[in-house]
Amino acid sequence: MTCELLKGFRMLDLADEKGALCGKLITDLGADVIKVEPPGGCSTRNIPPFLEDQPGPDRSLYFLAYAAGKRSVTLNLESPDGRALLADLARKSDFLVESYPLGYLDSIGLGYEALSKLNPRLVYTSITPFGDRGPGKDYKAEDIVTWAAGGMMYLMGEEGKPPLEMALPQAGLHAGGEAAIASLIAHYSRQSDGLGQRVAVNMQACIVWTLMNEQAMPILHGDHLERTGVYTGGLGARKKMVYQCRDGYISSVVGGGASTKALVDWLAEAGFAADWMKQKDWSFWTPGLFMKATEKDLQEIEELEDCIQRFFNTMTKREIYDNALKRRLLLAPVASVTDIAADVQLKARNFLVSVPCDTLGRTLTMPGPFAKLSETPLDPPRRAPRLGEHNQEVLGDWLGLSADRLKQLRNSGAI
Amino acid sequence: MSRYVFEAVHVLDFSWVGVGPIVTKYLADNGAEVIRIESAARPDVLRIAPPWKDGLPGINHSQFFASFNTSKKSVTLDLNQPKARELALRLVPWADVIGESFTPKAMRKWGMDYEQLKKIKPELIMFSTCMQGQTGPNAMYPGFGQLAAALSGFYYISGYGPSDPPSPPYGAYSDFVAPRLLGAAVIAALDYRRRTGKGQYIDMSQYEAALHNLAPAIIDYFATGRVLGPHGNRSQRFAPHGAYRCRDEEGAERWIAIAVAGDQEWRAMLAVLGDPACDSKFATVAGRLAHFEALDECVSRLVSDREAGALTTELQAAGVAAYPVQNCMDLHQDENLEAFGFWNWLEHKEMGHCVYEGLQHRMSRTPGELRSAGPVLGQHTDEVLTGMLGLSAAEIEQLRNERVVF
Repeated sequence: MTCELLKGFRMLDLADEKGALCGKLITDLGADVIKVEPPGGCSTRNIPPFLEDQPGPDRSLYFLAYAAGKRSVTLNLESPDGRALLADLARKSDFLVESYPLGYLDSIGLGYEALSKLNPRLVYTSITPFGDRGPGKDYKAEDIVTWAAGGMMYLMGEEGKPPLEMALPQAGLHAGGEAAIASLIAHYSRQSDGLGQRVAVNMQACIVWTLMNEQAMPILHGDHLERTGVYTGGLGARKKMVYQCRDGYISSVVGGGASTKALVDWLAEAGFAADWMKQKDWSFWTPGLFMKATEKDLQEIEELEDCIQRFFNTMTKREIYDNALKRRLLLAPVASVTDIAADVQLKARNFLVSVPCDTLGRTLTMPGPFAKLSETPLDPPRRAPRLGEHNQEVLGDWLGLSADRLKQLRNSGAI
Repeated sequence: MSRYVFEAVHVLDFSWVGVGPIVTKYLADNGAEVIRIESAARPDVLRIAPPWKDGLPGINHSQFFASFNTSKKSVTLDLNQPKARELALRLVPWADVIGESFTPKAMRKWGMDYEQLKKIKPELIMFSTCMQGQTGPNAMYPGFGQLAAALSGFYYISGYGPSDPPSPPYGAYSDFVAPRLLGAAVIAALDYRRRTGKGQYIDMSQYEAALHNLAPAIIDYFATGRVLGPHGNRSQRFAPHGAYRCRDEEGAERWIAIAVAGDQEWRAMLAVLGDPACDSKFATVAGRLAHFEALDECVSRLVSDREAGALTTELQAAGVAAYPVQNCMDLHQDENLEAFGFWNWLEHKEMGHCVYEGLQHRMSRTPGELRSAGPVLGQHTDEVLTGMLGLSAAEIEQLRNERVVF
C-alpha cells in the first residue's frame, strides 16, 4: 500500500546531507523519490559510523536512515548524456530537491530556469547554507558550521569551555524538514494552477528558528544568554535543568505550580523535604519565569534543588520517570537509545518498526511513520537502495530507454 | 491566481505554546485565515513568557508569542463554559483545518474531539499534537519541548564526553523538529481533500517526530547494541572539527567553527593560518583523526590571535568551511541573514515596532510572508463573533460579563 497523499507524484532527490530528510519525508507521504547519485555514489553513503563499523556503500547508518524508501539512479552529470537524462527525468517529475553549491546546476544547464522551461509544473527546491544573495552565498558549510552560524552552538556547553554540537549533527535535518514543508506549500499551489516554482531554503535561518525566540533578547532586553551547561538562566534566576540519578540523568526544572507541588509532596513522603517546603504555597511561585527572581527566591531554588538532587541520587532513571508519570511531574529521563528502545509508550504505539534489508541480509529497526493519519496512513519505512539499483526500472519505464541504449550509456559512463 | 497559496483555507486553532501554533503559522503566513481560540483564564504560556517589549512583562508584551502567531487572529473563549463551546462549535463548519495540542483528555471532555467534530463537518482535517501521542500508557504525559528533547535522546548525545554531565540544546528543541513534519502532513492532507473530498485525523506525538532526528543511532542500537553518547565536537570524518577560540572582541569571547574534510583543505587552512609545515603527524586524515586532541590544541593556538570574522573570510576564500560561532547579538548583524531578508519589522498593536524572524525559505512565484504581527489577546473577538456568528454588540457584552469571552 502506498500512502495516497503523494501517490503518483515523483521527486528527483539530488540533496546530500544538507537535505536528505526532505526526500525521506516526501517518501513517507507516498511519493516515488528517486535519489540521483553520481556513479561513485552519493556522499551520504560514506558518512560514518557504518553498520558494525564495516565501511561500505550500503552500510552508512545515516544513509540507511535517510535514504530509506528512496530509489536510486546513477547519472554522471559531468557527461552530456547524463545531463540530458536528468533533464528528461525532470520533464516527468513533480519535485526536485538539491543542495549543490549555488550555481552549479545552472552552470551545467540543469538550473531552475532551464528545467522549468521543459516542465513548468516542476517544484524545484534548493538548499543553501547561507542563502543565495549575501557575501556567504558560496561559502562551504559542514553541519557544525551552520549550527554555529545559526546561534545554537553558542548556547550549548559550559562556561569557559568550547561551544558544542550534538554527537549526531542536526543542521541538515532541520534544513531537510524545511525543504519538505516548503516544497509542499509550492505543491499545493501547483496543484491548483499547474505552475511550479523555485524554492530556496536557508539552512542558517533554519537553525536561528530553533532558538525559541531567544534571538529577540538583545533587542528587547538589551541582553543575550551565555552557555550555562546544565543550568537555564534568565531574569536573575539560575535553575538546574539536569539532575544526576543512580544510573544517569534526569531533566526537570523547578518552575512552581502543580508539578513543583507534587514533587515537593513526593520529597516529603520520602523524608527529603525541608519543613518550609511542605508549608509553602507553590501555586504562584514562578521566579525567573515571568518575573525577576529575588534573593529569597534564589535561596529557595538552591535549597529545593539540593533536596531534589539528594533524593534522585537514591533512584534510577526508570524509578523516577515511573513516579513522575503517576504524579504528573514535569520531568523526563535523559534518555539514551537503550531507554528509547525499551520504552513502553513507543511499543504500545508500534513506533519502531522492523525493516527487511536484503542488501544486508538482515532486518533493521528504525522509526516508523512520523504521524498517524486516519484516512491515508503514512508509509512505513522500506530499506535504502543499492547504488543504481533502479537504473533499469526508472530510465527504462519513465524514459522508454531500451536495454541496448542503457548498456551503451553504462559503457560511456553516463550512468 | 490567488496572491497567497492558502488564501481560501480556514483554520480554527485550539492549539497553544509551540508545535501547534508553529504549524498553523506556516498556513497563516501563506494566506490561510487562522483563528486562534484562546482562554483568558488560562492563557497560552507564551503570552506571559519573555522576551517582552522593553523587558516589561504583560499579557500582550511577549515577543515570543507574537513571533509564533504572526498573520493570525485571536478570539478569546473560555472553553470550560458551555456557552463558549457552543460558539466554538458554530465555527466548525467554516473550518477546513482544526488543530489542538492539549493533553488528550481536554478535547474529549469538551465534546470537541475529532469523532464529535466530524459529525458537524465530515471533510474536516484535524490534527492533535501532544508530547507522546493520543494513545498508549503515557498519552497523558504533561510537558513541553524541553522535556521531549530529553526524552527523545537529544540531551544524552550533547556534552563533552561520557563522564561529563549533558550540555542540553537550548530551549524546547523538539518544538522545532515536529512542526515541519506535522505541517507537511497537514498540507498534503489538504491537497488530498481537494482531490477526493475526504478529511481525516492526524495524531502526532512530538516525541516520535523528534526521534526521526535520531534515526541513525536507533538503527545502530538495535543492530549492534552500541549506544550513541556525547563526544564533544569530535567527528569521524572531519579533522579539525570544532569551535576554536579566537581573539576576544570588546571584552567578549569569540569562537570560530571549522570543519576540514581532506588533506587539500588541511593544507589550505595551514596556509591561511601561517604554519604551512605544522606537525607532520597531522599530515593525513588518519593522523589528524587519531590525534584529535593534539590537533585541537594546535588549531586553537593558531587561531587564538585571529579575529573570527576576518578569519572566516580568509578560510572560506581558501575553500575551508568556517564561520564565527554567533550569539544572538551577532545574528542581528549577520550579513547573510540580512541579505536573505530574514529579519522583518512589524507593527504590533501594543508592542509597536518589533523585529520578527522571517521565513526560512523563499518561494519565487507565490511567496508567503509575515502578514501581520501576532495578535493581542482577543484582538478579533468582536470581529469574529459579529462578522461570522452574527452576534450583536449587546450579546457580546453579555458574554463578556459572564466571562465566556474576554
